[in-house]
Amino acid sequence: MPFDAMEDLPDDALLARFAEGDAMAARLLTLRLTPRVMAHAYRLLGNRTEAEDVAQEALLRLWRQAPDWRPGEAKVSTWLYRVVANLCIDRRRRARGGSVPLDAIPEPADGQASAADRMQDRARADALQSALNQLPERQRQAVVLRHIEGLANPEIADIMDVTVEAVESLTSRGKRALSALLAGRQEELGYADER
Amino acid sequence: MPMSDKDQDLGGLGAFFDAARAHPPAPSPDLLARVLGDAEAEQIWITRRAQPAAEAPRAGLLEQLYRLLGGWPAMAGLTTAIVAGVWIGTALPEGVSGSTEAAYLVDITPEAVFELAGDF
Repeated sequence: MPFDAMEDLPDDALLARFAEGDAMAARLLTLRLTPRVMAHAYRLLGNRTEAEDVAQEALLRLWRQAPDWRPGEAKVSTWLYRVVANLCIDRRRRARGGSVPLDAIPEPADGQASAADRMQDRARADALQSALNQLPERQRQAVVLRHIEGLANPEIADIMDVTVEAVESLTSRGKRALSALLAGRQEELGYADER
Repeated sequence: MPMSDKDQDLGGLGAFFDAARAHPPAPSPDLLARVLGDAEAEQIWITRRAQPAAEAPRAGLLEQLYRLLGGWPAMAGLTTAIVAGVWIGTALPEGVSGSTEAAYLVDITPEAVFELAGDF
């Protein structure tokens, strides 16, 4: 099958080809899934090096699961979100602390307008990450899945193994905590402009 | 698909979530290489593991016995034990062939003793 046609295949179909020994499927899945998994791990951990280790481990588990994967039974992305969350929780329990305080976030540098806008956007992302690092694990996971990954509450409930109502409660409390944590920086990060 | 948070009641957090989606942490080339290396290694292992399963019925009785016993380490031990047993059973040392001890020995291959006796 040509590369372009394979690019359109869903994750589980590529995983089936991977299990059959298709080298192209291995490359496509690596390029498709690594950024997603790495980004999710980083948002849960707030540490790049650890997020990369978690991403590698989560994907290694996926490769090993490939021969036994049943297409259509579970979404690959859902399975990966669950594995990443478990690996992140294990790591955070092993090594408590390490979150970056809000004061440690680099300040936006003075410069040209477009560069300043980009810096501000970047600074907002960094500020959010630092605030996320301070949330309890379950609230952080729920907020990230809902408002950054954009998943629906039932899928989040499946990933987190809780009820939809529990997801709503976790995201609600998480957002309140984030608002409180970011309130002090609203002026410098252009927070007030977006209201 | 990530949604826009602009129109939702996020208490001003929408801009932060939008910024986070716009600036995802990119994986390093080293991570991509590590992940692809794992994928290729696992793929080789998976395909190798699948092949013996298909060829298993064609494996001979000796091959199956060899695997059942645990491969070459077990076979080496077994061979040593067999050789030692044959040697002990056929080459009787001088002391064992005394009048008292000989009464307790059961010679199951007397011909072999006669044939080998000339060598000692």
